[in-house]
Amino acid sequence: MAVDTKDVIGQPTGAATIHIERGPVSKFARAVTDRNPVYQNFEAARAAGFDNIPAPPTFTFAAAFWGTFPEDQPEDPTGGKGSPVRDLIAGLMAKGGLMLHGEQEFIYHKPVEAGATLHQEGKIVDLYTKEAKGKTMTFLITENVFKDDAGEPVVTERFNLIHRS
Amino acid sequence: MAKPIPTLRYDQISTGDEAPVLSHKLDRNDLVAYAGASGDFNPMHSNEIAAQQAGLPSVFGHGMFSMGLLARALTDWAGVGNLTEYRVRFTKQTWPGEELTTSIVVTGKEDAADGKRVQVEVTLTNQDGESKLAGSATVIAA
Repeated sequence: MAVDTKDVIGQPTGAATIHIERGPVSKFARAVTDRNPVYQNFEAARAAGFDNIPAPPTFTFAAAFWGTFPEDQPEDPTGGKGSPVRDLIAGLMAKGGLMLHGEQEFIYHKPVEAGATLHQEGKIVDLYTKEAKGKTMTFLITENVFKDDAGEPVVTERFNLIHRS
Repeated sequence: MAKPIPTLRYDQISTGDEAPVLSHKLDRNDLVAYAGASGDFNPMHSNEIAAQQAGLPSVFGHGMFSMGLLARALTDWAGVGNLTEYRVRFTKQTWPGEELTTSIVVTGKEDAADGKRVQVEVTLTNQDGESKLAGSATVIAA
């Protein structure tokens, strides 16, 4: 499938209002084997300099699964069409091949703590192909920015999908 | 306003220093627990029958579990809330039974106007030295 990159780069992938709650944060920490008491015990979190139970570094990747509630979602920036990433993946997979989560990046601007509400906006930031050993590698990079109620960035995530065929 | 307390002392950190190593033997319970905690229910991680039907030897670990395990080694060392950047490449899949071991090596440090920071190279390897994740991170020091 020929992919016209200039049509895709910059397109929104979605937006969400995400509530960070203590239970999911604490259980996520245990699921990544982290028994640090700051994720379980309010007093331990206070002693480490937090106002509430903090989220582990990779929690925002899973935060929408736990904290997206229907009553306070923002207007859909895709106008109801859904993320263009879905169509891009379907187009690439139609010719077979393998889809891999190639890279993941987090940039931390402020701590994420239980009780916070994050405002997430996603967009496609890059799409390109490379030829290697007779195979075509397609790289699709999306960015999620999570902001606080004041509109200041809290976490920036970059997600790099690789399709090889 | 939260003020996470750094555990590293900038003047005691040198290039080449290594953070304490953490090892974890991956088992199928880890895959189930991470699926539930993250919402990633891809059957290749949680359904042995589906994974074998797809031609895989077994279910395999979530890449983001590995990234979370390596994050634990970073925050155990530098203190929770003291990461400013963390990026990895997923180089190989992880399999139940593998012993995953972290490596965090200091590559540089910077006393900038807005704070003291330490750069590290991070990897996660199995018992045979096969790399599963490779990347870098920046942490805050006092």
